[in-house]
Amino acid sequence: MKLAELQAMFQTGVLAGAEDGARVLESVKNSGQADRTTLFGVYVNAYRARLAEFLAADFPALRALVGEEAFDALADAYIAAQPSRERNARWYTTRLPDFLRESAQWRDNVRAIDLASFERALTDAFDAPDAEPLAIDALGAFAPEQWPRLAFAFHPSLVLLELEAGTIATHEAAMEQQELPPRDEGRGHAAVWRADLDSVHCALEADEFLALSLAMEGHAFGDICQMAAFRDLEDASPERLAQMLTGWFQEGLVVGAEVREEND
Amino acid sequence: MTRPAPLGHGLGLRPIYYDQILSTRPAVDWFEIISENYMTGGGRPAAMLERVRADYPIVMHGVAMSLASTDPLDFDYLRELKALAERVEPAWISDHLAWTGVHGVTLHDLLPIPYTQEALAHVAERVMRVQDFLGRRLVVENASTYVAFRESEMSEWAFVDELARRADCLLLLDVNNVFVSSFNHGFDPNEFVDAIDPERVAQFHIAGHTDNGTHRIDTHDQPVCDDVWALYERARRRFGAVSTMIERDDNFPPFDELLAELGHMREIAVRIDAESARSAA
Repeated sequence: MKLAELQAMFQTGVLAGAEDGARVLESVKNSGQADRTTLFGVYVNAYRARLAEFLAADFPALRALVGEEAFDALADAYIAAQPSRERNARWYTTRLPDFLRESAQWRDNVRAIDLASFERALTDAFDAPDAEPLAIDALGAFAPEQWPRLAFAFHPSLVLLELEAGTIATHEAAMEQQELPPRDEGRGHAAVWRADLDSVHCALEADEFLALSLAMEGHAFGDICQMAAFRDLEDASPERLAQMLTGWFQEGLVVGAEVREEND
Repeated sequence: MTRPAPLGHGLGLRPIYYDQILSTRPAVDWFEIISENYMTGGGRPAAMLERVRADYPIVMHGVAMSLASTDPLDFDYLRELKALAERVEPAWISDHLAWTGVHGVTLHDLLPIPYTQEALAHVAERVMRVQDFLGRRLVVENASTYVAFRESEMSEWAFVDELARRADCLLLLDVNNVFVSSFNHGFDPNEFVDAIDPERVAQFHIAGHTDNGTHRIDTHDQPVCDDVWALYERARRRFGAVSTMIERDDNFPPFDELLAELGHMREIAVRIDAESARSAA
């Protein structure tokens, strides 16, 4: 048998999840102590155990929320539906929030989906590319008349999320192994990024979520003030936006600033 | 045929030990990283590695090259690996005589091959292409295996030795893997060690494994057992002062326990070198 054929059969047997009856067994020898089904089963069992371990490591709060039994069933379903196509195991779990959204069983469980999305963002922030934060003093290089056309670049780890209001509290309780708070179905907003080599997060008010979203899309300071959506918010003013901008600098979120030309 | 200069006695660089390593600067000669753990972006993994490599030599050890797969070589992966090597400047780069998947799928495991002439030609050709791409000689490790194939036409050691010759690569002799595979397939581990060309061996791995009664599994979650120490001693006598490291990847003990194992390894080396000196005199 050719190597390619043997490898295809071996992989089919592992992905099928049961060593019994795998066609590749015809090529596997019994050992002095163990039959070939047991020996091939080492690979079958290791595959599932390893991928389930990746999921448990990246979604500990989701596991605490839904319970071990439901999480194990979710892991089995994800592994069955989602053979890894990632060379690096780091990325295998990335699609779990999307999988929950697409799953008939999970799509209505907004609390679980949002918690999974939050944990995904924390994992991604942890090893996102590096960038040097810009000191707020850098703004001194720009003349006051340039301010409306100032646009900013943000740290690659920064992600904004719209979540159930209780997501952060649920995550914090789960990570401290405390009793989880009751569900809070209202909508809320959060920012996740990396500071001092650790993933961090904070809740955002609706106006700051919108302003930061627009700024991350590359809109200039003046344009954000002019955005109808922003103007419609309470307490939306250039002063409020300047206050937010100061906060973004203080948190190390801003990594670049440039003046946009009029026709940009 | 030159082997890299021996680095001494090393350990795996694992996140759980970052703080202790950086705060105590332990007497470890070098550290081995799992390459893929640093092929991400930035943040803590990259920052810790930069700090550790300021004080210690680093070797890059990969688990995802899939040298024996019949899928095409993944040059996106190899480009990332090469970029990491340019940043880390490792003493060498190693990966396994194994495959991780076919048809674009990855099983995230080191899977076994039949020891056939077809597989030998296939893997040797891929090792040579990888070496050309990376611009350096690759160090290839024997994997632990749990199944043996009816298709095999030669022993694992004959395959490994011939692979190194044909591809002109170096070898990472994983002493624990030799022991685990010898138990699982019923061969004499000494025969494996004695068959390998000493000029090809650039590194040893030793590690603990799990005894399941009918078979043993390469889990890296136990102390090194006496049988593996004995096999290491035999390998150390045959191959000389080869760079050696202890792999520990789960059930992590206090770092001092790993340092104690490292001390035991050093004692074996000192004893063997003293015996050699006496017999030479």
